[in-house]
Amino acid sequence: MSFSEFLQQNLQQFWELTGFYNATWQHFVMLAVGLFFIWLAIKKDFEPMLLVPIGFGILIGNIPFNTTAGLEVGIYEEGSVLNILYNGVSAGWYPPLIFLGIGAMTDFSALIANPKLMLIGAAAQFGIFGAYMVALLLGFAPDQAGAIAIIGGADGPTAIFLSSKLAPNLMGAIAVSAYSYMALVPVIQPPIMRLFTTKKERLIKMKPARAVSQNEKIIFPIVGMLLTCFVVPSGIPLLGMLFFGNLLRECGVTTRLAKTASNALTDIVTILLGMTVGASTQASEFLTKETIGIFALGFMAFIIASSSGVLFVKLFNLFLPKAKKINPLIGNAGVSAVPMSARISNNLGLEYDPSNYLLMHAMGPNVAGVIGSAVAAGVLLGFLA
Amino acid sequence: MKKQLLTLIVALVACATVASAQGRRGLRINEVMVTNDSSVVDDYGRHVAWIELFNSTFAPLEISSVYLTNDKNQPKLYPVPLGDVNTEIPPRQHVVFWADGEPNKGTFHTSFVLTPGQDNWIGIYDANGTTLIDEVLIPANLAPNTTYARTIDGEGIWEVRDGGDKYITPSSNNVIVDTNSKVDMFAQQDKDGFAMTIMAMCIVFTALLVLCLCFLAISRIGARVLRSNKIKSAGMTPRELTREEHPEHDSGEEIAAITMALHEHLNAHDAENTILTINKVKRAYSPWSSKIYSLRELPHR
Repeated sequence: MSFSEFLQQNLQQFWELTGFYNATWQHFVMLAVGLFFIWLAIKKDFEPMLLVPIGFGILIGNIPFNTTAGLEVGIYEEGSVLNILYNGVSAGWYPPLIFLGIGAMTDFSALIANPKLMLIGAAAQFGIFGAYMVALLLGFAPDQAGAIAIIGGADGPTAIFLSSKLAPNLMGAIAVSAYSYMALVPVIQPPIMRLFTTKKERLIKMKPARAVSQNEKIIFPIVGMLLTCFVVPSGIPLLGMLFFGNLLRECGVTTRLAKTASNALTDIVTILLGMTVGASTQASEFLTKETIGIFALGFMAFIIASSSGVLFVKLFNLFLPKAKKINPLIGNAGVSAVPMSARISNNLGLEYDPSNYLLMHAMGPNVAGVIGSAVAAGVLLGFLA
Repeated sequence: MKKQLLTLIVALVACATVASAQGRRGLRINEVMVTNDSSVVDDYGRHVAWIELFNSTFAPLEISSVYLTNDKNQPKLYPVPLGDVNTEIPPRQHVVFWADGEPNKGTFHTSFVLTPGQDNWIGIYDANGTTLIDEVLIPANLAPNTTYARTIDGEGIWEVRDGGDKYITPSSNNVIVDTNSKVDMFAQQDKDGFAMTIMAMCIVFTALLVLCLCFLAISRIGARVLRSNKIKSAGMTPRELTREEHPEHDSGEEIAAITMALHEHLNAHDAENTILTINKVKRAYSPWSSKIYSLRELPHR
């Protein structure tokens, strides 16, 4: 072999390993999706904490490479760095850690002060099961339908947790869909809230919530965990960690642990979760007909969840005395996109009455939605796993 | 002293819990062949009796130092040897012991044999040699090359398997599952998802309703306790406390109106003779010179 042939052969081999050689049009579509997510996050400020890691993860996961060369770089290649990081998603241990952080961040006072708001969080879970029925109609198997329907819970970690158990093959699409719609909550929810409420209802002023004692705040996570987990033991990973995080926050003697759980730990897991979920959307796995169906079902689930929350408040108001009526604008907050959907309730309330602050009231159903979606996930897991 | 005692009790309870969790209670005798003429062979190529054990838990189970026996009076007849990595049974998996009476042939060869034509009792004892984990009585009439096996791995009743419709499955599941029965059931019985929706929504509502009722009760009890404490500490009657808690004019609006009226009446305006000038100062912003990025937050004491 001459020297020039040797050079040519090695350069040829190198060329075959490059992304340019292995690229397909699907890769470019996914790269465009990743860039779109990053643009949404940076320019439009849509959930940057989620969409930047996911968007960049999509870029990382869709760099074309020769999958037969054994480079151990792909997220689905066992032993690769990305595959090791992805274990938290595939084995389902990132979501409970996120729930620990959510628990340590969340003040449940609004819910404790007005426990009946918990029922709004339960009603909004109808989005999940409405989507489940439609998914079955479209031909998905019950376990796949359950995994897709959980998008309606508007809870990314729960969606990842459940899909990793029920339909691991659809997890990438489900996770991206859930996070995308969570980012688009400010766009999706207000028209629904306007559609189902009258001007008079939007002006309902709710009484300020009573002050909640420290003891009640401590009892809440303990009783909450025991009750919900006794009803749905399959929800233990999510509910257990959520309430544990909240106890760390409220007990007053584990401030350092609560700070770590709500700051450093949550940040680390969010980075890893977002990036690996993004990277799991490899074009070959992601660009399928099913993905389009999942996105459509996810959108519908969000609409049903938001609508059922608002409509449930209207129904609930029929049984409440005039002085205790609930503003139906907080019904949308029954989906567990914390605190975006509560902020939307507040903003819309202020739009119609600049002195009507609904944020604290909306936080009640909002955190009840977190509990509700975790319970719903536990139910689906119990029935279908 | 009390604190130390409490700590000791907590530690003891924790140790007991851990010890119990580490126990081998999930180990099960799963399938047994007493007379093996033409069935599976051991690692020496011989047809010998075998006992299949099953890890019914969802965690790996280390069985070294567990005792296998066929004599109730000698529970420590064959201790599973230490130091063999193969004695850790993966979750929901099996291991086969050859009952050939030749323990020198390896870890999985027992020191006892099973006797055809008579009842064979087999038991597994924990490392203490007294705690019986599982036992089975193999009937004397078990035909050659048939097994006595559980209908479902790790549970269920025992049945005779002849290798026809009922498979003989050493080191494998007694029930071969190729689909998820729960999913199949929902696919058949609940095609439109209506039943799932009703059941699941009922469960979600029940869980949150119970929580809601519980906290309504807790808040009422809390308020009552708080009130009685207040009555005791302030030395007031309940009526006096009620009057103090709800004065006749306690609404925010009324208090604000009174304050405004007083303000107007006393003409309590601030001195406003100073001239205020607002100049717009334009300064180019750069993150390199921004205090936000250059100053570090001091640690809290």
